Formats: sequence, structure tokens, C-alpha cells
Amino acid sequence: MNKRIDVHHVTRVEGHGNIVVEVKDGKLKTCKFEVVETPRFFEAMLRGRPYHEASHITSRICGICATGHATASLRASERALGVELSEQSWLLRKLTFHGEILDSHILHVYMLIAPDFLGVGSVIPLASSHPEVVMRALRMKKMAGDLCKIVTGRHTHPIAMTVGGFTHFPKRAELEELRQRLVDSRKDVDATVELGASLPWPQFERDTEYVSLSKPDEYAFIDGEIVTSDGGRYSAEQYKKVTNEYLVEHSSAKLTKHKRDSYMVGALARFNNNYDKLHPRAKEAATALGMKPKVTNPYLNSGAQVVEIVHCVEDSIDIIDKLLAKGIKPEDPAPVKKVQGEGVGLAEVPRGLLIHHYQIGGDGLMTGANCIIPTNQNVANIELDMKALVPQVMDKPEDAMRLDLEMLVRAYDPCISCSVHVMKIERTA
Amino acid sequence: MLCSCSSSVTTTLPRPKATKDILILGVGNILQGDDGIGIRVVEMLTQECLPSGVCVADAGTPGLELPLWLEGWERVIIIDAVHMGELPGTWRRFGPDEVRLIASDKALSLHELDLANGLALAQNLDMLPKEIIFYGMEPERIEWGQELSPAIEAALPGLLEDLKAELRKRE
Repeated sequence: MNKRIDVHHVTRVEGHGNIVVEVKDGKLKTCKFEVVETPRFFEAMLRGRPYHEASHITSRICGICATGHATASLRASERALGVELSEQSWLLRKLTFHGEILDSHILHVYMLIAPDFLGVGSVIPLASSHPEVVMRALRMKKMAGDLCKIVTGRHTHPIAMTVGGFTHFPKRAELEELRQRLVDSRKDVDATVELGASLPWPQFERDTEYVSLSKPDEYAFIDGEIVTSDGGRYSAEQYKKVTNEYLVEHSSAKLTKHKRDSYMVGALARFNNNYDKLHPRAKEAATALGMKPKVTNPYLNSGAQVVEIVHCVEDSIDIIDKLLAKGIKPEDPAPVKKVQGEGVGLAEVPRGLLIHHYQIGGDGLMTGANCIIPTNQNVANIELDMKALVPQVMDKPEDAMRLDLEMLVRAYDPCISCSVHVMKIERTA
Repeated sequence: MLCSCSSSVTTTLPRPKATKDILILGVGNILQGDDGIGIRVVEMLTQECLPSGVCVADAGTPGLELPLWLEGWERVIIIDAVHMGELPGTWRRFGPDEVRLIASDKALSLHELDLANGLALAQNLDMLPKEIIFYGMEPERIEWGQELSPAIEAALPGLLEDLKAELRKRE
């Protein structure tokens, strides 16, 4: 039995990635997930720029994780320069971060992976077959985008977040209206959990090392220690002990590994490492989805995203209550305490652990930067998942096998930037 | 004639007050040169005296959110840059019978959410307005920059006059 699957490029992911699988005489010969994006050079762009521009520049790395990049960037500068954020700034940072997690997870669950389960090619035919599902997704996405706009001035590429705090503050009435929308969205959130619980998730298990941030008192999205399910625990400054970046010929992404040959970051890693910090309603959602840590089915990364949608809606309501109770006060950004320094900013963006590491010189200009994005960290793990999956599905017809592989890649919600298109299958007799 | 001189373009989702109200939706990215044609037209409209019941909105690049903009409206006019293989600045008015929606049913990512896909999504959701008119102008230059090409600047007043005549016709 010989088969060659060449998905070039994988659809419904953000960016160019190819799946190349070759089975010869019933044996797996080739199994690669190729990242064929060109280098972006953002780190080089940062050198020589004032540190206060860094968050606006790096936010452009991604139109989906713009707030995530801006947040990690600001934390790197703030930690480098000894800036202590006010309680209000922390609440606003966390609130807008939730908005982006919601926006991204809703997009992925409803528009990028649901079509696979509901037997259509994209969200456009899904609108004919399941209009109520698509309208719900649009409503929820709009609310998430409006949340970001209210806090940071616009939906994408936050303009109001700056080193030390904010330059714009939401009005009480805006927060009250947003709170009501979040409360009203619970029926949509419940329907999302029902949808997630009804999907026929592929059965596939492969244990790996799960890497995420962790904080003692909350489900960590910003700051914290880097922990792994194999028992590692590292400070932000020790991140290279986790990532150990290396190069392979078939990928323009740098790969990473820690104690095993690969590790996984993202919603499932956060779920596995931080389950006990989830909001009670999010834990109920996990139960409805049949998920309890440690979950080792990578397809359920999307299930973990559903759980996080519940968590972020509930935690956003709690954060707004705190802000309303204290009253929103316009305040100047917290001052820098050092003229130069080095700092690492960490954030759990929708797709996983994001690291920004900056050096800032005495003139306030950046002298060095290193950014490690989640999808890089997942590439090696995706490949090892594929290698484990192919022997289990190689007897299926090629279309079914190809779909299993594509759905596996999509489950990681990879953000490899820009494009899509045709796929080619070659069958050798 | 009733006048409602509006000084601003709304960027939040507007809703009609009466079924005969008209939504004029400018679509495009003003940071991409001539792609901002639709937005420039709705900005110019705010300098005009418009009939009551006309709402002018800047939808930017709405992508999948387009159905939410259209929700509740029965009459909508959309203005956008469009490649028609004509000379830059050439514009066309397409009536309800001339707008055909052809969208890919596969391979959609966030980077492919153009107007055609947004309209196709609205159609499948049964949210297309009863009456939809589309003004398209051939762009010259779609690249970074906020300026429109001279050929576009020169052609915009003609499109604007036709649009105003269209609105007067409906009073």
C-alpha cells in the first residue's frame, strides 16, 4: 500500500503550512509539517526604536493576537525598566486580554473547525445549513471585539495601552453596557458548550509535555512562571531553558523542545496545567465536554478553547464588577524607575505561550529583542502527532486520511500567517 | 425636501428607523491608497445635505461582520473599489439584478474575508437587503498610503452626483 498526501497549503489556518505524508509498502516513510512562511524580521525592526513604540510595532506581528503581542511587549519593557502597574491598569489589561481570547477562540471553534464536523467546506455554506450557529458566532465575536475597542480604543492593534498603563479609560456607562452584554451572552456561551459537547471529536491519544504559564491565584494569561506537565518550573528570565530553539531544513519556523522531543502550548496545555484555577462555570463546561486533566487528545485543544470561552466571559464580568466598584479613574502611566535594562514579558495568547525578551539602552532605544511565538513551539509536536496518527488511519480512504491530518493541524489553531489553497494527493500504484 | 445634514460618519452598527430608510455603506481600507474609495465617498457625503432616512456609515473592512451591518435594512447602497479591468477612475452602478454573488465555499481564512464573501455569508444567512445597489470604482494603486490617485480624485465627484441623484429619486 502506497500513499502520498501533500496538503499544500492547509486551509482554515492563518498562514502557509504544508502536510507531506508518504506511506510506502504500508510503512510511514515521510511525515512532515512544513512551515513555508518567509521570515518576518520584527526583532530586527525593533532595534534602534524607542521602547514605547515596541508594543505598537510588535502588535502588527498578528492581526488576531495583536493585544497578546502588545501585552507581552509592554510587560517586557515594564519589567526591564522597573515599572509597577496600578491595580486598575492590571484589571484593564486582563479585561482586554480576555476580549482577544474570546474573539480568537470563537473564530477558531465556529469558523475554522466547526465546518469540518458539520460536513461543509467553510463558514459560508455553514451559514446555509446552520444559520443560527453562524449568527451566534457573529454576535459573540462582535461583543469580544467591542470589549477590546472599549478598553483599548479599537478592536485590533490596541492604541490605548502604553508602558506603565493606559492613555484612555472606558466610561462607566460603557462598562455597564458591556457587563450586560456579557451577562446576556451566557445563553450563547451555553449553546457553544452544547455544540462542543455534541461534536464527534476524533479519538486519538498521544501524551506529550504541556507547557504554560502558571500563577498561584488565577488562571494565568499574563505574567507568572513557566510550568510544564513533566514537572518543570521556570521564571520568565529562564525561558530559554524551556524553549531550546533549533532549526530543521523543511521549516522556516524555529522548533522547540524541553524534556521530550516536543512540547505543546495552547488552550489544552493551559487547561491541563491550570484546571483548578478555572471559573466554576468553566469547570462545568469541561465536564459537559467530558474533559478532565490530563487530556492527551490534541483534537480537544478546541474543546479547551470552549472551556476558556466560558472562563473569559465569567472572569470579564468579575473584572468589570471590580472596576465599577472602585470607579474608573483617569491616571498617568506608572513611571519608569530605570533608564536602561533587560526584561522578559510573558503572555498566554490564544494559541499558547508568547515570549518577548527586550534589551533597552540608556538612550531609551531598543538594543535587542527576541520574540518566541506559540505556533513555533507547537510545530515539532504537530509533526510527532502526525507520525503517531498516520499508522492508525493509513487504511482509510485517502480523503478521510487527509481530513484527519488536516483537522489535527487545525486543532492547534496554528497562526503561521497568510494564505490557503489547493491540496494535491498522489497515489502511487 | 427634508434635510438631515450629518457631520459625521457612523462606525458603529446603525439600525433603520423605518423600512424605507437607506443605509449607505462605504467599504475599504484608507491606509491602502485607492482601496479607501468607498470610505472617501461616505466622508464626502457628510458634507452634503441628505434626505431624511439616509444613514451614512464607514464599515471599514468588515469581513465576516458584514451581515451584522446589513441586519434590519431593506435598502442598502455599498461603495467599494473593484477590479473591473477598466481605466482607473471608471465607475459603474450595479442594480439589484446585476449583483451576482460568487464566493468560494472552501479555503476560507481570516485573510480572505473580502466583500464578496461577506455578501455571500449574508445571503446564506438570509440577511441580504431586499434592494442592494453597488457602486464600484476601478482603483489605480492599492498600496500603503492614505492618498487617492489623481485619476480617482478626479472621478469621485461624478460618482457622488450619481449617488445623490439616486437618493433624490427615492424620496
